[in-house]
Amino acid sequence: MEVRANLVPDNSGYKKVMFDSLILLPYRDADLSTVLSQISTIFIKSYSPGSLATTSFRGTPANHTQVEWNGISLSNPMLGQSDLSQIPVSAFDEIEVLYGAAGLTKTSGAFGGVVNLVTNPDWNNRIHASLAQTVASFDNYTTGLGFIAGTSSFQSHTRLNFTSTLNNFPYYDDFTMETVTQHNAAVLQYGITEEAFLKIGDKHLLTGRVWYSYDDRDVPPVVAGSSTYYPQKMLNKTLRSILEYKLVEKLWNFSFKTALINQFMNYRNDSMKINNDHIYYSWFNSARFTYSRVKNLTIKPGLDYTFDDVKSDAYAGIKTRNTLGLYLEVSYIFNSHIKSRMILREDYLDGKFMPFIPTLGLEYKPFNKINLYLNANASRNYRYPSLNDLYWDQWGNPNLNPEFDKGIDGGITFNYPSANGSFFVETAASGYYSWMHDMIVWNPLIANPSIWRPQNISEVNARGVEVSMNLKWKISKLQITSANNYTFCRSTYEKTTLAEDQSLGKQLIYIPENTFNGTLSLNCWNFIAGYNLSFVDNRYTSSDNQTYMPRYVLSNIILGKSFFLHTFVVSLQLKVNNVFNVDYQSVKNWPMPGRNYALTVKFEFKR
Amino acid sequence: MSLNVKDIKNKIIHTVLPGSRLLSFICILLLLLAGCSKDPIREKPVDPPSPPPPPGDTTRVTYKHGIFIINEGNYSWANASVTYIDNSTDSVYQDIYQSANNHGLGDVAQSMKIMGNKGFIIVNNSNRIEVVSLTDFKTITSITGFDSPRYLEFVDSSKAYVTNMKKNISVVDLKSMTVVRTIPTPYWTENLLHYGQFMFVTCIGSFNEPSADRKAQVYIIDTRTDMITDSILMGKEPVSITVDRKDKIWVICSGGYDNFEAPTLKRIDPQLMVVDKSFTFPVQQGVPSRLCINPTGDTLYFINGGVFQMPANATELPASPLIPANGHLFYGLGIHPVSGQVYVSDAVNYVQSGYIFKCSQSNGQVIETYKAGRIPGSFCFTSSSAK
Repeated sequence: MEVRANLVPDNSGYKKVMFDSLILLPYRDADLSTVLSQISTIFIKSYSPGSLATTSFRGTPANHTQVEWNGISLSNPMLGQSDLSQIPVSAFDEIEVLYGAAGLTKTSGAFGGVVNLVTNPDWNNRIHASLAQTVASFDNYTTGLGFIAGTSSFQSHTRLNFTSTLNNFPYYDDFTMETVTQHNAAVLQYGITEEAFLKIGDKHLLTGRVWYSYDDRDVPPVVAGSSTYYPQKMLNKTLRSILEYKLVEKLWNFSFKTALINQFMNYRNDSMKINNDHIYYSWFNSARFTYSRVKNLTIKPGLDYTFDDVKSDAYAGIKTRNTLGLYLEVSYIFNSHIKSRMILREDYLDGKFMPFIPTLGLEYKPFNKINLYLNANASRNYRYPSLNDLYWDQWGNPNLNPEFDKGIDGGITFNYPSANGSFFVETAASGYYSWMHDMIVWNPLIANPSIWRPQNISEVNARGVEVSMNLKWKISKLQITSANNYTFCRSTYEKTTLAEDQSLGKQLIYIPENTFNGTLSLNCWNFIAGYNLSFVDNRYTSSDNQTYMPRYVLSNIILGKSFFLHTFVVSLQLKVNNVFNVDYQSVKNWPMPGRNYALTVKFEFKR
Repeated sequence: MSLNVKDIKNKIIHTVLPGSRLLSFICILLLLLAGCSKDPIREKPVDPPSPPPPPGDTTRVTYKHGIFIINEGNYSWANASVTYIDNSTDSVYQDIYQSANNHGLGDVAQSMKIMGNKGFIIVNNSNRIEVVSLTDFKTITSITGFDSPRYLEFVDSSKAYVTNMKKNISVVDLKSMTVVRTIPTPYWTENLLHYGQFMFVTCIGSFNEPSADRKAQVYIIDTRTDMITDSILMGKEPVSITVDRKDKIWVICSGGYDNFEAPTLKRIDPQLMVVDKSFTFPVQQGVPSRLCINPTGDTLYFINGGVFQMPANATELPASPLIPANGHLFYGLGIHPVSGQVYVSDAVNYVQSGYIFKCSQSNGQVIETYKAGRIPGSFCFTSSSAK
């Protein structure tokens, strides 16, 4: 079995973590919010199963994490953020997490970082067909179908996923003071992805990807002691396609990517007489040229162009945005110990030059034979207002400025693979300090509190520490794997225009100071037993830090067994989530399920 | 070589044992952790309010002489609360509903009215009116069957009207505490004023439509028949209504959330059922709201950024505020029914505790500052709140 590290130390001063397909295997029936909250250092704010789940990465608000699919943004340009509960893990192979300034290789504006969902071809594969069926608590049925076939020069990945759930879990209602069943939380979701990879000779690689997804969900109400429920529904239909060409020469290479995204969204609330359609098109283009003729020096200039077009019932007329990005990446290897990488970005947005974005990273490897790396970088970053911030009917503010971040981060990574490959340990510690200016906040107007308007008023200071320790240990037939993450994050309000504001120096709401998650799995005779624990510390619910959601610990257990019959594999997997039946809430008055189960049967054919 | 099971067994025992110890330690730790969290894990205050003294204790607050502050809370956060200022001791009691009932009040508390020893709290997005005893603030009953209720006004000791955002006026029977009838209105009704045998009800118009399509008016309901008998055309969004000592009815119209027209202050002659006076606010200088009147009925108050004071016989709108905003987000306004002092709330940034300022009606100076709950929106004075 391939032992693959989580942490990517060799990244010239920038922090990057990979979660490969093996790590994601037990989460194939889940959505992205579940997997990130259980195995990454990104904090997930999840309202309730089937409801909105957003990120807080390194103490930043949700719109500062960019989620991408093979390098193209999944964030809706209207909101500037993604709902992770709508992204099924079965739609991709691996997750690449780029921390802070590392995200600048992909995009500007993600102060927290970038989460990139990746699928790459395995040229050795011939046929790999799979069918997985999950039956879980609360009428949750998930089916995954995969067909991957090809030759050494052509590979095709076809995947289908289907989920239907009622989320009718019991919870204790604090208002009626009795246990009731969650209602109006049903989700119907399906998707199909087709990805084709064609290698022409040794130099040309052509990739085409298409992903269609359909997501229809009821929006459950907040628990508020109401006997009346007004139905709310949300429908999303999204088509994403990418065409990519890569030319690889000995001393230079070139890549070009073009992508088209179309999303239709409908929000319906009959009692409020709202039935709004939002349609957007995004056309994304990126060209990169890599030149490495000069020894130890790699120069990578690039050009990005994005066109967004939104037709929304909430906007007056069609709104568009043109973003042209100039990109330059220069990597220089000083010697076997020191590497550096500089990234420069200059965006030209709707006819206006945006502030210049520079960043510099350094990596130092003090010893030849010890895998110890020291990393540091300093960066500046800008995020442009979302289209809702600018154009939301009556309330948007077209005069908003970009948000601005100055930050430094640094860390140390160490790994030790034993000579015979039976033992591997890696550990990393990193720290960051970031000061965000001109943060956009929607506030009521003093002249008319019934109107809220986004304004560049806030400043946020985020600083923190991340510590990870991963272990793989093979003892005869038994393999022990453990992955652990601890984060400390202090993210505070630093500016106000209000006379009585008590939030200065106080922690941002719904961002915990401490989180921990750990996974321990034992693998023996094709039997797997895994245990996952996550701890989330107190999160304040008021910006003056006078009220808080208390800390909680959740435990999950996974048991699985695979049977090999020639080229067939039959796997069984049982997950027990929230083993100790903890009655908790992640967001005030949004119920969470107690102990629940998921049973998966998977048939695979591989040749 | 064939598998030697014994060897493997020994190997596992010798090498894995420390691991198993660790595992069992972790398991024990977890069981402890799990054992600690039997109670539902729910929001808590950093400084928990001290528990109320037992019944019979003379120090126990009885909610007889004071001011209730209805804290709306954030929409869809279900964190509405009630703060109480005891007039006799000037003490402030936070979140008295939660303390008395061991559960929250609900989502968006709009307003409160008192009849006898009962308080009626209108919880808008929970579609409930919580009827509480003013002895201990415990719930007596919940009235349901509304469509986003806003304000309540008593007709007499047996009947009350409740306006709803999403159609109809509900008629509540105060004996059975149920909605017995609805007075059909096509649109969102807001504030009410009891005048003689009539109820004057402001109507904003169709929900979620541009102001151009909304018909703003004041309905006049005959409380003996529960029938709409007349209506008077108003400026867009007639949000508050009051009556002065000369029996003239005043209405503030905000002009529309989409700035459709300039805000206006209109005076109605209730005998002739016509608007007999109208003041137009300058555009782009804020939107007036929260119209109140002083105990003698000769001075109007409203919020328009700052707090403004206006004699009922004035010939023009006041030029400068009695209490300037100066970085305060003034949100709720109340005039003490006996002292005439001005109570204005500051909702700050809407995601923290708000503040209440008690100000002098003669010069606007702050006399006292009280902390309140999240988004303090309205005041309810007990009938004997003087002292």
